[in-house]
Amino acid sequence: MAKTLAARIKTYRREREKTEYFFDYSLLFIVLFLLGFGLVMIYSASSYTAFQDSGDSAQFMKKQLLAIIIGLVAMVVVSLIDYHFWQKFYWIGYAVAAASIPVVLTPLGIASHGARRWFKIPGIGLQVQPAEIAKVCMILFLAVMVCKIGKGVGTFRGFVVMMGAPLPIALMIWKITNNMSSALIVMAISFLMVFVASPRYKEFILMGLAGVALAAGVVWYAVYSAGQGTFRLKRIVAWLNPESQAQDTGFQTLQGLYAIGSGGIWGKGLGQSMQKLKFLPESQNDMIFSIICEELGLFGAIAVMAMFIMLIWRMMIIANNAEDLFGAMLVVGVIGHIAVQAILNIAVVTNTIPNTGISLPFISYGGSSVMFLLIEIGLVFSVSRRIQLKDM
Amino acid sequence: MQLNRISHRKKILVMFLGLTLAFVLLFVRLIYLTVWRSEYYTEQATRLHERERNIKAARGRILDRNGAVLADNKTVCTISVIYNQIEDPERVIKVLSEELELSEESVRRKVEKYSSMERIKSNVEKAVGDRIREYDLPGVKVDEDYKRYYPYGELASKVLGFTGGDNQGILGLEVTYDEQLQGEDGVILTVTDAAGVEVERMGERRIEPVAGNDLRISLDRNIQSYATQLAYQAMETKEAEGVSILVMNPQNGEIYAMVNVPEFDLNDPFALPEGTEDSLDSKEQQDLLNNIWRNGCINDTYEPGSTFKIITAAAGLESGVVTPSSTFSCPGYIIVDDRKIRCHKIAGHGSEDFVHATMNSCNPVFITVGLRLGVERYYEYFEEFGLKKKTGVDLPGEAGTIMHKMEDMGNVELATVSFGQSFQITPIQLLTTASSIINGGNRITPHFGIESIDSEQNVVETYTYPITQGIVSEETSATMRGMLEMVVKEGGGKNGQVEGYRIGGKTATSQTLPRGTGRYIASFIGFAPAEDPQVIALAIVTNPQGVYYGGQVSAPIVRQLFENILPYLGIEEDVQ
Repeated sequence: MAKTLAARIKTYRREREKTEYFFDYSLLFIVLFLLGFGLVMIYSASSYTAFQDSGDSAQFMKKQLLAIIIGLVAMVVVSLIDYHFWQKFYWIGYAVAAASIPVVLTPLGIASHGARRWFKIPGIGLQVQPAEIAKVCMILFLAVMVCKIGKGVGTFRGFVVMMGAPLPIALMIWKITNNMSSALIVMAISFLMVFVASPRYKEFILMGLAGVALAAGVVWYAVYSAGQGTFRLKRIVAWLNPESQAQDTGFQTLQGLYAIGSGGIWGKGLGQSMQKLKFLPESQNDMIFSIICEELGLFGAIAVMAMFIMLIWRMMIIANNAEDLFGAMLVVGVIGHIAVQAILNIAVVTNTIPNTGISLPFISYGGSSVMFLLIEIGLVFSVSRRIQLKDM
Repeated sequence: MQLNRISHRKKILVMFLGLTLAFVLLFVRLIYLTVWRSEYYTEQATRLHERERNIKAARGRILDRNGAVLADNKTVCTISVIYNQIEDPERVIKVLSEELELSEESVRRKVEKYSSMERIKSNVEKAVGDRIREYDLPGVKVDEDYKRYYPYGELASKVLGFTGGDNQGILGLEVTYDEQLQGEDGVILTVTDAAGVEVERMGERRIEPVAGNDLRISLDRNIQSYATQLAYQAMETKEAEGVSILVMNPQNGEIYAMVNVPEFDLNDPFALPEGTEDSLDSKEQQDLLNNIWRNGCINDTYEPGSTFKIITAAAGLESGVVTPSSTFSCPGYIIVDDRKIRCHKIAGHGSEDFVHATMNSCNPVFITVGLRLGVERYYEYFEEFGLKKKTGVDLPGEAGTIMHKMEDMGNVELATVSFGQSFQITPIQLLTTASSIINGGNRITPHFGIESIDSEQNVVETYTYPITQGIVSEETSATMRGMLEMVVKEGGGKNGQVEGYRIGGKTATSQTLPRGTGRYIASFIGFAPAEDPQVIALAIVTNPQGVYYGGQVSAPIVRQLFENILPYLGIEEDVQ
């Protein structure tokens, strides 16, 4: 801690002179491609609405661009810092995650789309979603925990500790910010990290089956109660038959399906979406993938999905070659975050699972999401920079 | 740590494969949505994105037998408002209520109604529509469509009929041939965003309307026009309530003219006559209009009077109870059962044969013929001649015959029927039956519709009409033609003579019910040439003032008509 940042960078440069270090240009390219593609699609999806609402058709794209620039700077800075630097802050990270969530209830909190999920950082006016902070902090916390517990991860007690630690945070995200999807993502990240750290298989398969059974039970209950319950139960009914709830909970899903279906194999061409003309709510946000499908067709969609697969493949290479377990676990956490979020988003848009608000990483409009994702990518670069080429 | 590392690598690979599998499954789902479900969702989405506006199909025209256009279409405008596009509602309300001469409240109600599209007024003159378009008000739509237009205004108004605002026939041939004339409406589909704002770049999709087929009818504009003049002239000089003139080809039933004056203006059919009280409620107004629109030749029945003697004579000749040379004696009256029925000539016609009795229109002779036939046989002929059935003319609302039931008919009833009283038929029925008797015995169907023609001048459908042959024998028919020629040549129909032509005919003067009011119907039925009739005409003058005899009032009308139309129809003068 005594060393300043500048001194650390100097140390790295000296080390770099000694041996060839790895820098993953492919990963950088993929991330930049996704960001650039996202900007184009945000402009396409939002320009009509933005022009009508504010007179500036590039309004959303400009805001996103600013967030991306800030995020890229943060990414570079984080990538230059040795990731071991963060190791000792794992409890602080946990505390920050836990403390940031209730801030949405204070006057700083911002309600939008019917939920208080954001707060404003005073002075600079930046809107932050504490769930995003929590995801980064949980990745760090769990990576450190895996190293601390060591072989104990494989035991039942280790498992309970690992899964129990993020649970309060996830519950807070769910209950306080009314954001079940982010809570689920936090738990999914933890699950994947524990899965990788533990040498066992059987227990995880059983857990997976239990999860499927639980989901089936909830669906059955929703159908049984005929959607009389909470909005989440209604969404399950809408998921099974969006047409039956066309004016209600099924509206967004159905509009998304219209977009995907009418795009067909070849799409209508960039900028030619009809559904973005106020038919599809959140078209530049959670539902942007359906606009991609409408304009660029099945082939646009496969390109995006291929980019995500390549992204996690590159990160897998880095995780496999990481200098130590801590680095590997950090990367695994980031993989879990990005992959689970992308998969869930596409699953929602295609009505494969019930509707829940999840954005598509790097592409959906949302400043705080993209900034924290870039910080995570910065961590991955930081891990990759420690890999000596002779190790590969 | 090294051992662990291998385990971790394996686990990371498993995780990667698991996540990739999830992507692949989603990809399969996407293929399903974009390939299999594409058509369905595209259709749903298109339906969501498009707003429909109808384009009226041009209604088929009605052409006379020579191709003159009797019913046409002209361009008019429909003014509508689109709620979501209106920027300045007050100005829209002001402009529309002023230009369209509508009350401000009614326009306001429509402008402020939240709907995707609200029609303000249809059938607006093109000039007004163009003017409104020039205001360039956002949210106001001016769509052009067609309005029925009748170039000759009143001509054959009760035959042609007119249409309502939605291109639906309301009266006359417009009703009968509605289906052929209507065509199929087209649609303009405009792509809009969710708020209903038009999307410029998408343009409009049009499903073109299919124009209705033209209808060619047997009516001759010139004959109709001349007959109308004659009818108005007679109505004025005789201060009559109305005059009807029917002109038909007795061989095939094609109607050349059907006039019922007063006619009305087809381009303004809802206009109430001048001097109508304002206090009429809507039902009274409608009753008044229905009266104005009535086609007396078809919708109304009357006692035909002496013209019906044609039928009695034909039945008598056909059955053999009388021959042209049979002799009778008329003392000026005849006693039937306990009733004394007078002849119109109180002194009586004295001794006369059947030809002269017809020329004299002698009631006792025709009563005698009727009584010789007896109720049963007379009734049989009445039915055989087709008098109990409707003629089947292709106009709506034909009235049926009002006749005694056979079992209620005694000799007195039979006697009155024999000279055309105590029952009622329509003028078209009388003309059709007379035609059938003089044309060789073929009961024809009177009609207008000849063929329907599409926009490329192809005949889509040629209309055929039933003919019942042999209702009287050729011989009876010839005898009747000869006797009726004598009526005009030397008998009561002298005023129907046309120089150079052999005309057959019969007059009638019937008192209307109730009797004793001094109201008469004077009529004359005439045909030419007498030996081979090509045209038959019936003129009916209702309640003429002054002289009311058919021979004096109606025969001259037919004479004037024939003087003009016989050369026009190419019927050559008889050199004899």
